[in-house]
Amino acid sequence: MEDRNIPMNEENTEAVLVDAVNEETLTEAPDVEVEKAEAAVTEQLETESEDTEVPLDKNVRLMSPMQMVIRRFFRSKLSIVGLVMIVSLFLFSFFGPLVYTRWGEIELDESGTVSYTPNEIVITNPDGTTTTIYQTTERQEKDNYLAPPSKDHILGTDEQGYDVFTRLMYGGRISLSVSFIAVFVITVLGVILGGIAGYFGGVVDNVIMRICDVLMCLPGIPILLIISTLLEAAQVDAKYRIYWLMIYLTLFSWPGTARLVRGQILSLREQEYMVAAEAMGYSTSRKIFKHLVPNVMPQLIVQMTLSLGSMILYEATLSYLNMGVKAPYAAWGTMINVISTNTDILQNNFNVWGAPGICIVIAVLGFNFIGDGLRDALDPKSRR
Amino acid sequence: MLKYILKRVGLAILILIGVSLIIYCLIRLMPVDFIQNKVNAMNQSNSVPADAVEKLYEMYGLDNSGFMGIVKGYFNWLGALAKLDLGKSFVDYAPVSEVIAKNMGISFAVALIATVFEFMIAIPLGITAATHQYSFRDYLVTVLAMIGISLPSFFFGQMLKNVFALELGWFPSQGTLSGSGSATGLALIPDYLAHMFLPILTVVILSIGPRMRMTRTNMLEVMNSDYIRTARAKGLTETKVIYKHAFRNTLIPLVTTLAGLLPSLFSGAIITEQVFGLDGIGNIALNRMMQGDIPFIMGYNMFLAMLSVLGVLLSDLMYVIVDPRVKLD
Repeated sequence: MEDRNIPMNEENTEAVLVDAVNEETLTEAPDVEVEKAEAAVTEQLETESEDTEVPLDKNVRLMSPMQMVIRRFFRSKLSIVGLVMIVSLFLFSFFGPLVYTRWGEIELDESGTVSYTPNEIVITNPDGTTTTIYQTTERQEKDNYLAPPSKDHILGTDEQGYDVFTRLMYGGRISLSVSFIAVFVITVLGVILGGIAGYFGGVVDNVIMRICDVLMCLPGIPILLIISTLLEAAQVDAKYRIYWLMIYLTLFSWPGTARLVRGQILSLREQEYMVAAEAMGYSTSRKIFKHLVPNVMPQLIVQMTLSLGSMILYEATLSYLNMGVKAPYAAWGTMINVISTNTDILQNNFNVWGAPGICIVIAVLGFNFIGDGLRDALDPKSRR
Repeated sequence: MLKYILKRVGLAILILIGVSLIIYCLIRLMPVDFIQNKVNAMNQSNSVPADAVEKLYEMYGLDNSGFMGIVKGYFNWLGALAKLDLGKSFVDYAPVSEVIAKNMGISFAVALIATVFEFMIAIPLGITAATHQYSFRDYLVTVLAMIGISLPSFFFGQMLKNVFALELGWFPSQGTLSGSGSATGLALIPDYLAHMFLPILTVVILSIGPRMRMTRTNMLEVMNSDYIRTARAKGLTETKVIYKHAFRNTLIPLVTTLAGLLPSLFSGAIITEQVFGLDGIGNIALNRMMQGDIPFIMGYNMFLAMLSVLGVLLSDLMYVIVDPRVKLD
């Protein structure tokens, strides 16, 4: 048997004919038969229309399921838009700081302005005359804070005097990498525990599912607030705290994935090819991870993409509540945090808080578009 | 039916005990020390005698932060809960259940009004999107719903606040009441509504997306079924086909979601309430969390957990009631 390394449903290993040849000739028949059938078709074609000398394999393009998925994915405009959004955000955050080195993440713009305030002091002398003293106060603002967008600062500076544009790039690094790490850990935990629960059933299944029930009932934000104060007490470096926080978040978030995997495996377990695998005497881990899990992959990939978006939202919310990345380091949520106390900036400096907000929306929207496109592309029922 | 419900309730109690154990351990490990903060606030010169401080710790049941102390504290809490007593809030000196009940009203009002509008807007949109699948209208509705899902609540809330409260001045930007003081009773309602408008708008826009998509998916599924073809073949008008035959069947999942949603109406929206300074349960909980008010945090989190258990149970039961094909196992 040929070993397809493609994560698709077994029933879905069919071929798409680009040009007109009836579909029945190419199905899941063994290789030899396909060759015979092809030969037959070729003969037929040759006898029917002798002037066309194009061999059949030029007319017919076989597509693997993976190619079909890719084709369907790129047919949807929204998924392309999503892909463009995510790729450009990635380039912006990971290569941006290498190209745009004018300012650093925690580099203050100290080119402050000097202002003079004239004071007029009138003193009445004992003899009735008045003396006027003119005094000027020199006021030097060291940090050039809340500067409007200019050539020097593309998006201006924030209330501390940091360059907003630069911090946007560094903040993107945090948001994107954190969400990828979190989703990766959630998926690994979910696949292993869900796979075990679904495959073995019985007591193991019951125990794992009850743990899932408990974890799903834990209120997310309050629990993370508590954990965040714990991390603060443990004096975790401000720069890495958000990573720790997200790792803890994964400990509460794997049940969703585990349930999905378990549900799929419960139904797949009963299918004939699993009986065949049993008859071949494969080991349990091979049956689970080589035969069952790949068939859950379509749903899993969709779920992963969509949860990338929600993880970015989670991270941003935590940072906004000042629980994640803390100043002076930048994260998109942290950059918006300032307006929760300062209404002046909220009203007058959209460049400071609007830009990171828009970045968050683009990132989440991008992942949602891609996830949606993938869902349609991977669904064998949708033929579009 | 009764047996099934009893079984589920028993399971729910087990789940809640697990949840409470996790939350209690986490809270007791929290470094925010209510007593220390209180003593510090009482006098700056540290002249409160050490034994008095110790006594305070003992009074609040926080004298032993070791493993045994936490276990003992947990069982004390559980024992009190068995007598339906959630303990007294450190900050308010009042029973936790009272504090929750007092602040729940405004959160509930916001959530209820928001949910009504959500369904009223999302269902028609979902239906048009489904009946005009792959048309411009479908794409527009889908994209708008996606944008709604992708907006962070704090960002969108602040944006609305900036535009409608600070720039245009149409609505108050902070608080629950303007506190002019003279009005009482029913006369306060317009004032409440003015303060609640922007939070409601935020919640509605952020949560329309999922409902609309659900309506659309279900509607599409129903529109492809055989009896719709039959209805069309009979020569019924399209409106009749959609609203009389198709829509009634898409109601099944909508009603079950609604049942599952009911308990969460009481839980409060932490971020939205924080943005608009609304004195709802979520905002209060956020404040208490920072102050280390252990009984309140415990009570609030258990309240949330209970609501979500109840939500799942209600939506499962609703499914059986609405859809005669579903049988209880």
